Parts: sequence; C-alpha cells; structure tokens
Amino acid sequence: MARPVAILRALALAYRRDWTAFQSLAGNNFFLITAFLLRQAGTFVYLIMGLVVLFPLSTDPLRKIPPSRLALWPLDRRERWILRLASPWINPLTWGLAALAVWGAGRILTVGMWAAIAGLFAGVFLISAVPLPSGNGMWRRVPQFPGPLNQLVRKNLREILTTLDFYCALILSAAVLAYRIFASGLPPEAFMAMTVLVVGAMSSYAQCLFGLDGEGGLSRYRLLPVRGWQLLLAKDVAFLAVVILLTLPLAVLPGIGAALVALAVGHAPAVERPRPQTRWRFSTGGALGNGAIQLVALTMTASGIALTSTWFLAPAVAAWAVSVWWYGRDVERVLG
Amino acid sequence: MISCRNLTRRFGEFTAVNGLNLEVAAGAICAFLGPNGAGKSTTVKMMTGLLAPTSGEVTVCGLNAAANPLELKRRIGVLPEDLGLFDDLTVEEHLLLTGDIYGVPRQETRARTTQLLHALSLEHGRRTFAAACSHGMRKKTAFAMALLPNPQVLFLDEPFEAIDPVTAKIMRDLLQSVARHGVTVFLTSHILSMVERIAHQIVMIRKGTKVWDSAAGDLPQSLEDHYFDLVETPVVEELAWLGPSRF
Repeated sequence: MARPVAILRALALAYRRDWTAFQSLAGNNFFLITAFLLRQAGTFVYLIMGLVVLFPLSTDPLRKIPPSRLALWPLDRRERWILRLASPWINPLTWGLAALAVWGAGRILTVGMWAAIAGLFAGVFLISAVPLPSGNGMWRRVPQFPGPLNQLVRKNLREILTTLDFYCALILSAAVLAYRIFASGLPPEAFMAMTVLVVGAMSSYAQCLFGLDGEGGLSRYRLLPVRGWQLLLAKDVAFLAVVILLTLPLAVLPGIGAALVALAVGHAPAVERPRPQTRWRFSTGGALGNGAIQLVALTMTASGIALTSTWFLAPAVAAWAVSVWWYGRDVERVLG
Repeated sequence: MISCRNLTRRFGEFTAVNGLNLEVAAGAICAFLGPNGAGKSTTVKMMTGLLAPTSGEVTVCGLNAAANPLELKRRIGVLPEDLGLFDDLTVEEHLLLTGDIYGVPRQETRARTTQLLHALSLEHGRRTFAAACSHGMRKKTAFAMALLPNPQVLFLDEPFEAIDPVTAKIMRDLLQSVARHGVTVFLTSHILSMVERIAHQIVMIRKGTKVWDSAAGDLPQSLEDHYFDLVETPVVEELAWLGPSRF
C-alpha cells in the first residue's frame, strides 16, 4: 500500500501545481469584461468559460506519470488497480461532481444538467487516456503567409490556437453565426457588442505574446538576424488573422480596429514583463490596469468605427505601428 | 577569423571569463574544453554577440561582436546548447524559416533542406513537430539550421552530447567537410575522444582562465591525460552501500 500512496501523493502535488486554469481567469480580460460589464447577464458567458475550463481539468491525473516510468515501477497487479481507482479522486472536479450528485441533484441542478456535466467530464477523462497530439499536430495545416516571416507567423498562429481564449471567442462567434443563419432581426449594435466581447476574449493574449515560445524559442529569437519589430510583427499578424476570422460573422472592421489597439496596449507587458503561459489554459495578462486600459481602448475604437466612421481605423493603425516600432526596440534589449 | 583580446566577463563579483586571448584561423576546427561552469558558454555567447563583454573585445569575421551583433548573426551559424527550437514548427519548417530569415532564395532553401535532411538521416521526421522529436532529431535539426545559410563561422555548443554514434559520425564528417571548404568551426565538448579526432586546435579553460592553447598535434600526451592534468582530476567516491545486500 505504501507504493500507491507515495505515487498518489506525488500526483496530488503535481496536480496542485498544475491547477492554473482557474488561477489564469483572474488575470484574463474576458473575466474582467464579463464581471464588470455584464454582471448577472454574463451567466451564459460564464457557462461557456466553465465548459472551456472543464476540458483541460477533466483529464486523467494518472496521465501525468510518463507511461514508461509507470511501467518501470515495481508495482503488483493489486497496487496498479488501487492507483487506477484512487487517482481520479485527486482531481477536485471529481469531488465536486460527487458532492453535486449526493446533495445537489434535484435542488441546485436539474438531473439533465448534472448528467451533461458528468458526461462531459467522463468523456474528456476517457479521451485523455488515449494518446492525442500535443495540440500543434491538430493545426498542421495553417495557411502560408507571404514574406520571410511566414514560418514565424504560422508558428505564432499555432500557439494562439492552443489557448482557451481562442476557443471561448470561437464559441461566441459561432453562436452569433448560428443566430444569423437560423434567425433574423439582430440589430447592428448587437454585432458591435459581440465583436467587443470576442476581441476582449482574445485581448489577454496580446499581453503575453511570447508566453508560449518557451526557453528554446526565446533562445532562437536571440540567434536570428531579425529586428525586434519583425518579431512583434510576426506575432501581430497571427493575432490579427485569428481576430479577422472570428469577427467575420460579426463586424470585421471594428474587430480589426479593436485588435490593433489591444495589440498596441498589450505590447508593453508582453515585451517588458513577459509571462510564461501554459497551453490549453486562458492567457494570463499583466497588471489589472493594463487589462482595463486595453478593454476601454478597444471598446472605444470598435464603437467609433461601427457607430461613427471607418476613419477611426486610421488612429488605431497609427497607434499600433508606433507601438510595434517602439517596443520592437525593447524586444532587442530584453532578448539581449 | 576569430580573435579575442583580453576578453573578460563578470557577473557581479563572479568572473566567468578572465582576460581570454585567442586566435582561430579560417578553416580551422577549434575545440574549447573545460568543466561545467568554466566559462565556455559565456565565451561562446560573447563571440556570437549575445552577451557584451565587461572588458576586452572579440572579433569574428572581421566584425566586433559587441558592436555589430545583427551583421555578425548573418554570417555565423550557431548550435546553442538548448538547441533553440520552436515546439510549433516541424523539422522542415525550421529549415524553411532559416532560409527565409537569412535571405536564401526559396528554391535554393528547398534544395538545401532536402540535402541536409538526407545527409542527417532526418527525412523520415521532416514533418514531425519539434515538440514530438527525440533529442537526437532535435539536435540534428538545430545543426542543419546552423549549416543551411552557409555560414563563415560555425559555433557549436556540445554538438556530440546525447546523440547516437551514427549521428555523431555523420556530424563529425560534415564538420570536417565544411572546414575543408574554409568554414571555421568553434566547438565546446566534453567528449574528448571525438575532439581528438576532429580538432585542429585545442583550447582549455579552467575557472574562466585559459590554461592551454595549441595545435592538436602539439599536445605532449593524450588529450584525456592532458585534460586531467591541467583542468580537473576525476575523484571516484566509494559507494559502500552498493552490492548484493538489500537496502
């Protein structure tokens, strides 16, 4: 019994350290925008965030042990069964579901809702036991871009596609698209508001553009004979490509303007206070002030373009270009 | 091709490299040897323009490394110790990226990529993402990236660590080939048997100070014995608990 207990203890420690999905919400602009602007009306949005967070948290804790290591340990058949049965209880979500099942069913949640959550949890738990591509394999066929920064842009695109920010924004965008197809009568202001929400969901990523490059990537940036502004440009092109795609069913030009100011404000924390990020988590931005400035600026820009004139795009482009040039110099200094 | 004059780097009170003087001729393979923490990587970083010296200067390809880092980077190839690969790019995409960034024409990049993948037995993994590659594949990818732009000087940090004998032989042959074509090779390594086979010049460093610099043929004894005499002597600790009794 000592051996399974030792392994479970180590697993619990690893799981606790990896419990960043909810922590990452605290520094995420999308959480800010829904908490302060939507309040109770944000319940639907919280439900989306909850589902998106549930996926990475529902994985089998035993997957944290490399299979080759697990096979090497001198565990007998009984000990392996104990591990198999006990390890799911390391995940706090298992306890939460059990508690809901015992006390909550019929009172707090409907049986159908509880079954849906439990089913999702069980599905992801089972899927996680099957070896899957790390995420980058899923996005092998990202488009080519013109110019010498092509491969860097494609790499950055793949990085964005492994953040939960993107999937949250995608669900919102897809919901509006579905509404446009199957219903009618959505006022133009609603498209603008949803565009702000979608770009807001993506905006925290603009504050941690180098977060998924890892030490190896940063080391390669130092070796490449390119200027800092080119590295930022490659990051921004990928970000803009994603935002354009997400805002196509909404309001594209306000979306582009909002994305440009989100990047212009986000460059400072991204370059000067780089924060390593974890894949399949929400991006954790910089200080609260940065997020607030970003949200106000992107909302004003999107509103200006949507409600007044597309000429509002010009100052957004100018602010972004100045930011790329200015913080490009900082990139060179920070990378050394 | 590489010239260091009184090269010194301090980190606070600690002196990592102390007054290093060094000359490496064009087309030479220079092995830079020393124990962990002796100052090898710091020296390589200064030579490649990644770290400014506290005093002294280093010139590579006629360029002051601290004053012209960008121009220098265009002329050299580097295999860093951590390999510097992006998890989200495949082996092939890393090479295409290198060609694009160094201004090699696209068609030429593709031809060189194919040749390098073939030469390094990487063809089977060309579409594998770096994150999914074995360490040997990652090292070969980083090595191919260093070679692809046809650099004037190659800096290799521990190129023979953690790779299989066949790959080591392939890399050794390639290095000898590029040196014959006039490319200068500056490498650090702990694998003395490999160094003995390829190096034209041996430099040893201990606690940041150069303790030996000569042509490989001028060593007074075997490289291993000389290294142990000058740099560090191995001390074997007896582990009395190892043996047939349990726990």
